[in-house]
Amino acid sequence: MEEKVLEILEEYCEEAISYTGDNMMEEGVIDSFTVINVVSELEDVFDIEIDAKYVVAENFRNKEAIIELVRQLTEE
Amino acid sequence: MQFLSAAFIILWVISFALYYLAPKTRQWMILAVASGLFYVAGTGGIPIGILLTGAGAYACGLYLKRSLAAQKHALSDLADKEEKKAVKLGFERRRRRVQILYFVYSLGILLCTKYMVVILPFLRQMGMTTSRSDAFFERVVMPLGISFYTLTAIGYVVDVGREQCGAQENPVKLFLFLAYFPAITQGPFNRFAKLQGEFEREHVFDYERMLFGVQRFVWGAFKKLVIADRINLFVGNVFGSAQEGIPGSIYAAAVVLYMLQLYADFSGYMDMALGISETFDIALPENFKRPYFSKSVAEFWRRWHITLGTWFKDYVMFSFVMSGTGRKIGKAAKKRWPGFGKHVTGVIGTMLVWLLTGMWHGRTASYILWGVYYGIIMCVSLVLERQYGIWREKLHIKGGKCYSLFAVVRTCAIVFVADVLIRAESLSQAGEIYRAFFMDFRLKEGILGVTDWGLSRYGFLLLAAACLLWLAVSIWEERGKDVRRTLAACPMAVRWCCYYGVALVLLITGIYGGSYDTAAFLYQSF
Repeated sequence: MEEKVLEILEEYCEEAISYTGDNMMEEGVIDSFTVINVVSELEDVFDIEIDAKYVVAENFRNKEAIIELVRQLTEE
Repeated sequence: MQFLSAAFIILWVISFALYYLAPKTRQWMILAVASGLFYVAGTGGIPIGILLTGAGAYACGLYLKRSLAAQKHALSDLADKEEKKAVKLGFERRRRRVQILYFVYSLGILLCTKYMVVILPFLRQMGMTTSRSDAFFERVVMPLGISFYTLTAIGYVVDVGREQCGAQENPVKLFLFLAYFPAITQGPFNRFAKLQGEFEREHVFDYERMLFGVQRFVWGAFKKLVIADRINLFVGNVFGSAQEGIPGSIYAAAVVLYMLQLYADFSGYMDMALGISETFDIALPENFKRPYFSKSVAEFWRRWHITLGTWFKDYVMFSFVMSGTGRKIGKAAKKRWPGFGKHVTGVIGTMLVWLLTGMWHGRTASYILWGVYYGIIMCVSLVLERQYGIWREKLHIKGGKCYSLFAVVRTCAIVFVADVLIRAESLSQAGEIYRAFFMDFRLKEGILGVTDWGLSRYGFLLLAAACLLWLAVSIWEERGKDVRRTLAACPMAVRWCCYYGVALVLLITGIYGGSYDTAAFLYQSF
């Protein structure tokens, strides 16, 4: 699962892979447009529905947080 | 009541003293009373607007809280997955209906109030108003900070529904969140979970924090009185002039100065608001991060009025894209156009956000055009972002200092074009200004006549000196350094020289009184 998430991130936002901070959205590493594309791709690949309430800076602060979000939603 | 008034300073000093004398668990009450006084004094009448919006948010929050608790209880009794899903969906639908009802209610109040200025003269012409009804509308229907507290209240209702914060059971505490006096006039927009935590914390007096707060307030006043209000002497005369055939070069100078004025005015207000709040040990979110250093328009809007941008992104853009309608459009577009299709919901969401941002800022067609202009630029730059990267690679542009400077100038040029729209008195004047840029620039005439528009040679020199100081501070901050901490580390003599220096500059060179209302902030009219 982790690998797939990283693949998607690499496709849409290479910078997110090398980013080591914890505020990717506010620092402009990943913009809202890319977030939408990443969310849409994650939904298709993992057959999950990511509600707007999960699309917050906290869940997109770095790649680990995104992996954690996907893990949580796939387990639900 | 304005920040730069004796009445406000008295209110600030008294509430500050009482705040630290009060029992730690009751400090929020002092802020609530101060906010109430500030609000009533600012409105000059009955604050019915905020009470109606606040009461609605309060009731809606409680309903959502109870519905979420009932949902949890109902789900705990069920074992079947499908049945659980159906029950959850039923609760969600009911909550969404209540939320939509609240949005219609609060936005209805906002729109009626905002467009009353347009409607009222029409009603007057038709003879449908009386002097008593006019007085009523002036006192009651024009509440202070309505655009700010309405969006803040909507954010609260959405956050409670999304379980990102709990519902507030104390109506006075909710009122304090909506009407917290440093932020009520122009923001920043606050999130309930964050600000509520600040109000409920115990606050102990700290001399350094108080000093930092006052310093930030004075720095804000410097930007407002020495820079923004001085620029207004020139800009107001150029745009307000009935004279025909003004050279394009004078218009260009006026627009560049207006860009600085708007930034100095609004960020000056934010410095004052954050400084006041800092003295109470309440942290408010930053609203500006040196936007004119941005290398793209998207970056500019991540640095300018940050909390408004985040509000629209979180509550409009993502809500739309992740909604049933947004998903349907997205899926259909991906099928229809395999390459571009994935961008369609993002493009619609971005255009929607910018259209609403334009409408939020003003009532005229110029603001709608301004929003559409930014929407198109954002969409094009985001969709073609990857393409730009390929072009840059092909052209061997590696992003060195020269390219960065070019990117900053390009961003400023895009903002320059947009600011003509919102500063011109009308769309026809904006058209005349654009025409003058290209057909009637007359640079020499502009240079020779630049001091004929309300700002003398001395005024320009003073403005340049103040802007240089501002630039130096901005560069220092851009490098991640804190000016106040740097100053605090200096010897006492240097520190006090700086304090007296800034105070003297403010007193001697600030623009006070006269026919120009120094206390009015530009963003207050949005």
